[in-house]
Amino acid sequence: MSYQTGVCNFCGTGCGHLMQVENGAVRGVFPSSTHPVGRGRLCVRGWHIHELLNTEERISRPQLRTDGALIPVFWDRALDEVALRLAGFSGGEIGFWASPRSSNEDIYSMVRLARAVFRSPNISLQSDAWYRSTVEVLREGSGRPGAYGSISDIRNADFILVVGTDLTRQNPIIASDIHFAARRGADVVTLSTRKTQMSRLSGTHLQNRPGTKKMVLAALAKVLLEADRGGASSAAVSIEGSDAFLKEMEGVNLDRIEQDCGLPLPTLRETALRLKAAPKAVFVFSTGISGLNRETVALIWNLFLVAGKAGRDGCAILPATGVSNLAGANDCGAGPGVLPGSGPLPDEAAAARFKGLWGAEAEIGPGRPVEDLLADASSKIKALVVCDHDPEINLYADRLKSLEYVVYLGSYANPFTDLAQAVLPTTTFVEADGTYTNTERRIQLNRRKVDPRFESRPAWEIFSALAARRGAFWPFRSSADVQEEITRAVPAYAGATHAALEAAFGGIQWPLGAERPFGPFRFVEAGLVSGPAPAGDEFPLRLMAGKSYYYWHQNNIMKKTFIPRREYNALLLLYPQGLVDVHPDDAAALGLRDKRPVRVVSARGAMTPLVRVTDEVPPGTVYAPYFVGAMIPDFLVPHAGAVERGEDAVIPVRLEKV
Amino acid sequence: MTMHLLAKSDVPRFLSALSGRFEMYGPQVHPESGDVFFDLAADGSRIRLDAPIPVNSPKFAVFPHWERILSYAYDRENKEVKIIPEDLVRPKALVGVRACDLTGLLCFDRFFLGQEFVDEFYRAHRRKIFIVSVTCTAPFPQCFCVCTDSGPYAAEGYDVNLTDLGESYLLEPGSEAGRALAAELGLAEAGPDAARRRDEAVDRSISLFEAKAVENKAWISRAVNRLTTGFVKNETWEYIGKQCFECGACSFVCPSCSCFNIEDVNRQSGGTDRLRTWDSCSFEGYARMAGEHNPRRPVEDRRNKRFFCKLSYSQSKKYLRPGCVGCGRCVRVCPGDIGMTNVVTAIRRDITG
Ligand code: SF4
Ligand code: SF4
Ligand code: SF4
Repeated sequence: MSYQTGVCNFCGTGCGHLMQVENGAVRGVFPSSTHPVGRGRLCVRGWHIHELLNTEERISRPQLRTDGALIPVFWDRALDEVALRLAGFSGGEIGFWASPRSSNEDIYSMVRLARAVFRSPNISLQSDAWYRSTVEVLREGSGRPGAYGSISDIRNADFILVVGTDLTRQNPIIASDIHFAARRGADVVTLSTRKTQMSRLSGTHLQNRPGTKKMVLAALAKVLLEADRGGASSAAVSIEGSDAFLKEMEGVNLDRIEQDCGLPLPTLRETALRLKAAPKAVFVFSTGISGLNRETVALIWNLFLVAGKAGRDGCAILPATGVSNLAGANDCGAGPGVLPGSGPLPDEAAAARFKGLWGAEAEIGPGRPVEDLLADASSKIKALVVCDHDPEINLYADRLKSLEYVVYLGSYANPFTDLAQAVLPTTTFVEADGTYTNTERRIQLNRRKVDPRFESRPAWEIFSALAARRGAFWPFRSSADVQEEITRAVPAYAGATHAALEAAFGGIQWPLGAERPFGPFRFVEAGLVSGPAPAGDEFPLRLMAGKSYYYWHQNNIMKKTFIPRREYNALLLLYPQGLVDVHPDDAAALGLRDKRPVRVVSARGAMTPLVRVTDEVPPGTVYAPYFVGAMIPDFLVPHAGAVERGEDAVIPVRLEKV
Repeated sequence: MTMHLLAKSDVPRFLSALSGRFEMYGPQVHPESGDVFFDLAADGSRIRLDAPIPVNSPKFAVFPHWERILSYAYDRENKEVKIIPEDLVRPKALVGVRACDLTGLLCFDRFFLGQEFVDEFYRAHRRKIFIVSVTCTAPFPQCFCVCTDSGPYAAEGYDVNLTDLGESYLLEPGSEAGRALAAELGLAEAGPDAARRRDEAVDRSISLFEAKAVENKAWISRAVNRLTTGFVKNETWEYIGKQCFECGACSFVCPSCSCFNIEDVNRQSGGTDRLRTWDSCSFEGYARMAGEHNPRRPVEDRRNKRFFCKLSYSQSKKYLRPGCVGCGRCVRVCPGDIGMTNVVTAIRRDITG
């Protein structure tokens, strides 16, 4: 048969597909009707993944920079050089930047190379710090560092709360499950400032003022606490951490909620009570660039607890991962504050485990995220090893240029190679075996289906070869060997060998076998919730930045397809300078017209995109989907902090007619 | 033409006669996922004539998901472009094609061959195709070909049609090539009651739709009427449009959807490939025109384009039938739950939200 089973590698939904392979090349893709997640569906990205896999815009050969230019060399020469040069730095001087698209095996090998060979604890995932804090909230709250429940819980849910980003764009097939649930009668509530397709498909849209998401979540929890008060059981009080939680809730003033958030209290009250009454409730929220911060996730978890959903059958909390292996990369230790499968460092048990696995010399202490090191002028960072860079905003261009040595590993041509002294071509997910973990802890095996194109090699193999050149001989002859070590290094992955995954179509959710019970459940500290800063006269509007449909990580990957690229270009054609969404009332007041330029001015920057007049944003709010390069350096970089704080962050601006 | 009987024990011999001279495609059950795919088979042993309707339509055999239609290279020295046509198209036998899918192929023929322009790439495939269709003696849950006049029995377009009569298949040649094959295999002629037994099997199949084809009921003719007379409310289109995730799946799985895209790709090794790939009218960029004018900007307009294409009278004139052949596939792959049958229902009942 020419159709071979595999998993889509774009987002963290993890839909099952069948790749059509003919004469050693990928020729098409089809959804699997029996796959437990996709169940016959793929989104626009998944339906065009074969276009990406066939692109000619690949990094084809190992290259070293000589006299300013990248020159192709043989693999051995490249590996010798990279190993030697990296050995010239101390561990603290090297940063390792991992990609949430890499397989678990590649991530784990990179972590091992960093910590056990070059003795650097400075490993981080590009741009996804919020997922790490999300996982920590869930660990503290539920005892398990990952999604609570499964995507399939959506199918039977009575109540579904969607917080934030337009899921129909970020994780379309999860959004599709929610849509189907709504059609069979589930009560779907979306909390988002903008009208999105997700909000239109929901029975209730809580359209809050920008920057007030936490307040709304806190208000919902407070309503339930008040409803419960006086009740003999007052369940919340008996839950661990309730003292701090109750104190936080005292600060929430329900009487001011409408004024602050723009949502009538009766609506919130009704919504909260419906949640409370629903036997099966599922919360879904996004992570990643438009993700939520720690406090917001803590509030989501606390609301789940107050509503009495923890420990109940069919209830779930799903942090929808925007990139294919974001969850697995975290599980496998791609963070400066953890080892594979560990809790926050220091973690005694993990330390002992890795001394055993990696040797006494390994660096097992906490490090710092690469972004921090780049941002901190006084940090010692001098060298960087980067895998598959696809950042939203390159904030550190100057610092990167000043580094002494940068190694870039990747499959696709990428502007980041301009900064690299060594470039090493890696395989794609159809050219090497590898496992990937989705939003709901489902580990799935992607088999090698075609030979590596050009001279690419799997990243784990490259890391092994580099280790060997530093005298560390790893026992890996295949990625199955690496995965076998992962099953011992990451306790939750115990048993998830290639052989076991091969035998289980659709993969296996960790933990395998006998489910370790959750708990004890506890409230997670969310801090005091304050109202949004009032808009000033000088900058009366609130700007939010976020994704647009085909835009994805500056589109480096999407631009290598045909159809998604064309759709992105269609948007560009209409709005070549980028766009901001402005409510018709604001547009009328300021005399702005659709598709005309407008100057957006904040305290720190300015840009001149085109106006799209739409009631998708509420009055007083401006939305900037950042899909055009020029919007980024001119405006968003100075506001990087706000953009990175995710959906709850707003930038005060004014609009000037030009 | 004379009808023959193909004993079930003779099916392997029948298939190996085909695989001897054709690349053979047919329904197969995927060993891991259990999906039924219509796919290339090394030999007949994997082909299952009784497998449920495949998830993919056989259209890809004549209209591949991704196909190089030619390549060219610029010769610097002589300053000329050398065009290298593709002539890798090999003869294919499509075995076990169901009536709906065969009807879809006939729509393709009218689209690619029956208009002002003849598509030579399609024709290259099509000329070398040998079609073995099968009568559906029972419908599957997703089927509604009886509403679209495209099954369960294929009236035309096959080289050979098979109808399961129990111990043997009734083999009806539909072309000279089909007749020759039957003769070559030395198959017994079917008795005088063969046609009656086939009609009974077809009637029984039709009578089973009520109980078995439960996923989809579609009063297509009513929807065709309303579409053609323009009696569909804008709100109904909006209701349909807001549920579309713009994934393209409905077009990709549809046996009669023929949208395509052309791309030229420079190879790292030199030379350029001209590729043809599947496309869909659900995409905004598909209908993009020069400047800012896009006649189908809002998603509900793009949606209704697809349903006009499938159901309106003017389109039906082009295909000589409605474009929808009742296979039910778009219903199963649509993330928005707006497969053809739900749309037909929305149009019929004026559903607006
Ligand atoms: S939802 Fe995610 S995993 Fe599924 S097809 Fe789309 S990009 Fe791929
Ligand atoms: S429109 Fe849908 S049901 Fe009709 S032929 Fe196409 S895929 Fe099948
Ligand atoms: S399959 Fe459904 S969601 Fe996808 S493009 Fe077609 S109608 Fe839209």
